[in-house]
Amino acid sequence: MTLMTILLMAMITFLTRYLFIHPKIPLRLNAKVVSFLSFSAPAVLTAIWVPIIFIREGTLALSLNNPYIIAATVAVLLAAKKVNIYFILITSGALFIALKML
Amino acid sequence: MSKKSKQQAKAASKIKFSMTSRIVVKGFMDMMPLNLAVIPWGILCGSLAIQRDFSVLEALLMPLIVFAGSAQLVATELIGGNAPLATILFTTFIISSRHFLYGLSLRDKMKELPNRWRYPLGFLLTDELFALSTHTRAFKGKVRLIYALASGGSFYICWLLWNIIGIFAGSYLPDLTSLGLDFAIAVTFIALVIPSIKNSSILVAVIVSGLCSVIFKLLGWELDLVLSALMGMFAGYYLLRYQQKVKSKSQEIK
Repeated sequence: MTLMTILLMAMITFLTRYLFIHPKIPLRLNAKVVSFLSFSAPAVLTAIWVPIIFIREGTLALSLNNPYIIAATVAVLLAAKKVNIYFILITSGALFIALKML
Repeated sequence: MSKKSKQQAKAASKIKFSMTSRIVVKGFMDMMPLNLAVIPWGILCGSLAIQRDFSVLEALLMPLIVFAGSAQLVATELIGGNAPLATILFTTFIISSRHFLYGLSLRDKMKELPNRWRYPLGFLLTDELFALSTHTRAFKGKVRLIYALASGGSFYICWLLWNIIGIFAGSYLPDLTSLGLDFAIAVTFIALVIPSIKNSSILVAVIVSGLCSVIFKLLGWELDLVLSALMGMFAGYYLLRYQQKVKSKSQEIK
């Protein structure tokens, strides 16, 4: 039973990824839609990372006692300066761990 | 073939090979931060499956063919709790529905690809590969296809490895996610998104999407991720159109 469920789940995840890149789907994207979709990468990825920072255990954690907020602010500032991604990971990660241990 | 042309051919194939291996290495290195950031989640997925009485084969099939982070976690809990099949599949569909946006965005770049590239790259089209596919010429030409396959493939292999560690060693390891290691995912996405903010319309899309994602999540909406992304995309798109209108009007006056 579980095996069958897993197979069906695999079909669903593949379908959601593959459907719209299939050439035979009768769908033409006009210039407006393409322009709209050009915002998808920053918008979706942001919708993934922002809640990790601001929501802790189902509630809004908008305080300076939240180590996620301080460490993420540093990461945002470094990223805005186009610093190397590994440097950002290590610096803000170290800061995050230090804040958690305080 | 003369000796000289043979040597030339040999040298050319050597250059070609070293080019390919360099692209593969670059794809792997670009994906590395993301490969590392998901270690806690991969281990959690694997060990949770075993805790919920999955057989080793079933636990292996999750990363092998379902190949999804949050969908895997949630579905494992649902299966463990004997939820109805329809609930499990519907939940998987909702969590996975953001991928429709990825497919749509990449449609014009990927629909013309030969099957042998399109099917595997479609399978590998995770949040992570999409994050590395924003270049205007992504998936164009063999070099960029090899790059995509190498980066997406390395993520697949790593995800599988972390799951395997969770399956076989999960009971000996502490729950890494409780240590706050979800911060690693957030910071990797920050490092990818922030430098891509090149104009005010992208900035507005990011701010609106971020605000909505917090509000919708607190409200407990199931489609929170997709809806907040759509709100951000609309905001960015309309600002861009407004800016273009103003610009074309001021040019008319001149």
